[in-house]
Amino acid sequence: MQRRLILRGIGASAVALPGLAACGTAGGGDMELSDEPVTLRLTWWGADTRAELTDQAIAAFESEHPNITVKGEFKDWAGYWDALATTTAANDSPDVIQMDELYLASYGDRGTLLDLADASDYLDTSAFEEATLAAGRIDGTQYAIPIGAGMLACVVNADLFAQYGVELPDDTWTWDDYAAVADELTEKSGGAVNGSSVTGGTDAGSIRYWARLHGNEVYSEDGEVTLDPTVLASLWEYNLALVESGGVESPAQSVESQGAGIEGGSLATGKIAMGFAYNTQITPLLAAGGADLRLLQLPGNAEAAANFVKPSMYWAISSQSEHPAEAATLVDFLVNHEAAADILGTERGIPANPAMREHVAADLDEGGRMAVDYLESAATGPAVAVTPNGGSGFDPMIQRYTQEVLFGERTPQEAAEAFIDELKTEIDAAA
Amino acid sequence: MTDTVAPTAPTAAPSRPDPADRRRARGSGPSIRSILKHAVLILCALVMLYPVLWMVVSSLRPNDVIFRDPSLLLNDLETGNYAEGWNAFADPFSVYLVNSSIVVLGAIIGNLISCSMAAYAFARLEFSGKRWWFAIMLLTIMLPIHVIIVPQYVLFSQLGWVNTFLPLIVPKLLATDAFFVFLMVQFIRGIPIELDEAARIDGAGHPRIFAQVILPLMVPALATTAIFTFIWTWNDFFSQLIYLTDPDLYTVPLALRAFVDAQAGTNWGAALAMSVVSLVPIFLVFLFGQRFLLRGIATTGGK
Amino acid sequence: MSATTELRHLGKHGSTAKRQNKTAFLFLLPWFLGLFVITLGPMLASLILSFTDYNLLQPAEFSGLENFSRMLGDERLHRSLGVTFTYVLVSVPAQLSLALALAIVLDRGVRGLAFYRSMFYLPSLLGASVAIAVLWRMVFGADGLFNDGLGLLGIEGRGWISEPETALGTLITLNVWTFGSPMVIFLAGLRQIPAMYYEAASADGASRWRQFLSVTLPLLTPIIFFNLVLQIIHAFQSFTQAFIVSGGTGGPADSTLFYTLYLYQRGFGNFDMGYASALAWLLLLVIGAFTAINFWASKYWVFYND
Repeated sequence: MQRRLILRGIGASAVALPGLAACGTAGGGDMELSDEPVTLRLTWWGADTRAELTDQAIAAFESEHPNITVKGEFKDWAGYWDALATTTAANDSPDVIQMDELYLASYGDRGTLLDLADASDYLDTSAFEEATLAAGRIDGTQYAIPIGAGMLACVVNADLFAQYGVELPDDTWTWDDYAAVADELTEKSGGAVNGSSVTGGTDAGSIRYWARLHGNEVYSEDGEVTLDPTVLASLWEYNLALVESGGVESPAQSVESQGAGIEGGSLATGKIAMGFAYNTQITPLLAAGGADLRLLQLPGNAEAAANFVKPSMYWAISSQSEHPAEAATLVDFLVNHEAAADILGTERGIPANPAMREHVAADLDEGGRMAVDYLESAATGPAVAVTPNGGSGFDPMIQRYTQEVLFGERTPQEAAEAFIDELKTEIDAAA
Repeated sequence: MTDTVAPTAPTAAPSRPDPADRRRARGSGPSIRSILKHAVLILCALVMLYPVLWMVVSSLRPNDVIFRDPSLLLNDLETGNYAEGWNAFADPFSVYLVNSSIVVLGAIIGNLISCSMAAYAFARLEFSGKRWWFAIMLLTIMLPIHVIIVPQYVLFSQLGWVNTFLPLIVPKLLATDAFFVFLMVQFIRGIPIELDEAARIDGAGHPRIFAQVILPLMVPALATTAIFTFIWTWNDFFSQLIYLTDPDLYTVPLALRAFVDAQAGTNWGAALAMSVVSLVPIFLVFLFGQRFLLRGIATTGGK
Repeated sequence: MSATTELRHLGKHGSTAKRQNKTAFLFLLPWFLGLFVITLGPMLASLILSFTDYNLLQPAEFSGLENFSRMLGDERLHRSLGVTFTYVLVSVPAQLSLALALAIVLDRGVRGLAFYRSMFYLPSLLGASVAIAVLWRMVFGADGLFNDGLGLLGIEGRGWISEPETALGTLITLNVWTFGSPMVIFLAGLRQIPAMYYEAASADGASRWRQFLSVTLPLLTPIIFFNLVLQIIHAFQSFTQAFIVSGGTGGPADSTLFYTLYLYQRGFGNFDMGYASALAWLLLLVIGAFTAINFWASKYWVFYND
């Protein structure tokens, strides 16, 4: 841009300005291990269990590398991104960053993440499958390494099926079968429960899967929005019909369920008999309700093989890090070493590194075993493109349009076109 | 009592129940009106309190019951949530309580001193450009923190203050909470100017009038400031989130939020238990502190 | 500035202006330091950023008035303005009248005053607690307590927090529920009224009601004014409760999209901090205008002792 304004230049009057411009490529230190004491900052979002396990893994790492001290910083999901953006803007980012698929390109494209190829002396990626690594790559640059693998699944409450005398479906079902089962459940329960949650439109995964079933993709490899409005509209039409017939819970209950999170949602509290979740979320679901929950293939997947692996999260290294070599060593320890896998288990998802997955397989709990079995048995299509820069707001955006459609404020077609317009605008603005 | 208007209407001398009145009311035994009044007040209190009571009750429930039961009846007592919540993170919860207390204490002292000084100047002194300075002061509380935080972070990180309590305390020492300056200005202006003039005739300068006449008379405003500063700082999330990165320095709100993980699951029992624990200090402070709210001019003599 | 007429009365009892300049400066020294070292810089920075395209992670680029012209066609912004104005106009008067009424009742030597006051104040202590979201769903959710109550009256309930038409109403209720803060300020103000005025009034034979109208209310006006100004400012900036209850989305279907929540979404969710800064300065103008009108109007109804 010819009108580029380096705020540093006009910063004299405003005390705070100098640092604003200082981020980006302002690079890190030498790519060599230091003999001096080094302190690294490692940051992640997540709750108490994750904090406890990660602290133990840090301790194990420190005992192997006596000159490196690692400070773990944990935050809740929303606060995490606010803090990460603020510290990165001020050139004060943590060294090792837990990254999410929605934000990967937003940070990577803007030069705030280290190209992991530069750190290959310390971080070995050879154990990973090519498709897994691709999920951490943007325009050919490996900005992040997947930690865990997740996959969208259909969760059914077998207790409710039994209670109302509905036969458990087998995995080869279609969306028509699904609708019939949902309606049957609602009917046989006399309306005490609904058959299903809304089947899509609350997160990116459900839209991507629906698009792939229809030979469409949300994004192309080069980060363009390729989602077809008619395809998106058909997802909403499918749900509107089921809301009408009662097979799907009411829009109000659906909104409430979403706001209540895993533990308070309709699935965990037994208000619906079928719903959708990532395979690893079966563990908190089982803990919350105590019902007999099972993971089934997504409708249509047996035939189309349209499902896909989504990294539950990644490790990335800040390009602002002064100790990239040590940071890479730490990431290597976390993803490649059995000592770390023993501690971390499947808390961040089924390990994306196959060797580690095999290593932890022996001591999985019930939910973990179900999640692994599901991941290994589900048919998958080609990998999906990483969410492009500007797409980080996808989930709240699609939720808003879904609510507008379900509450009758917009027609599906109109909403689909408006949604795609808005998504394109965000992505164009960020590029 | 001689008034004939409905009990909730502000009929009696609203602020100054004279002792004789109270004695009379007590002597005559509970009238229907006073029973009715208390019934209404208690009902209001219950409506107000239900959610808080639910929180306390739920913190004593097993995790899988919490979201299924909006009632206040406790069937199975689960005290384990408290032990679990207390030890959920690497530091026991007491560390977060202490950290919050340090921040709160610094903020209260800072606000009491700096805001009362500024308020005295605005309420009692004549100086050039006063109305403009006052307007600027009000403007400073009109911008949302979200657009201030990034430049402010840059400033504090250049001072080397990030990951200390200083960014949370020093601004209070410098009267950046204009809310309280304004509050105190309004209170000082309610104090009769004759009292200042009497002191001035006795030869007192402004510092002495401020310290010996105004401050003692504005105890209710100071108490309000202290209580509000306590509660707001105790609950403040955003600035503490941004400036405190080392978990050893985390405060109560940061720890409470860290219980919640919408993706991987939340231990709600522990989260609610610690929410209850974190309510205890502010509730105690309010219970104890509220009597200072009553020390107005009236109780100090009114001259 | 309408504040000027109002402020002209401030401190007119001083001696020579020259001497007071110095004294005033000393009293204001901490505040001046705070203003020039801590507050003004970041404010100015955000003003400058409002004329730029700034994504937080890369240097800002000057974009002239683009952010401001973009506001004209921004439907979500317009929606958030509607939500915020509704909220301000409904919840501020409701909360303040409840706070004032209860402060007056509680100040009248009710037995157990401290108990009631604490009870009524308790909800305000919850503040930004994560428990609020859960609590509110328990009260206003489809299976919540409120619907149970309606059920007893034979009225069929609905999902109050999850339907676009009623979600904002529950947040207004949530705000009114925390009337404890202005109530405490009112109580403190009532205590501040010098007993001598009441003594004088009863010596003149004024009835209690008369005393309320001619002593209590006028002398409380500075505090009412204060609460009004501040609650309006706070209501315009309302963020935390909507953020927690709607999970940061402002949903369902943007029905609780408060202005600051939208600003926050733009700034942090979409890395659009230049636009967010512009939004913040528009908000400042709006709040500033409301405050100025308030100060202008105050000379007609606020009574000062000085």
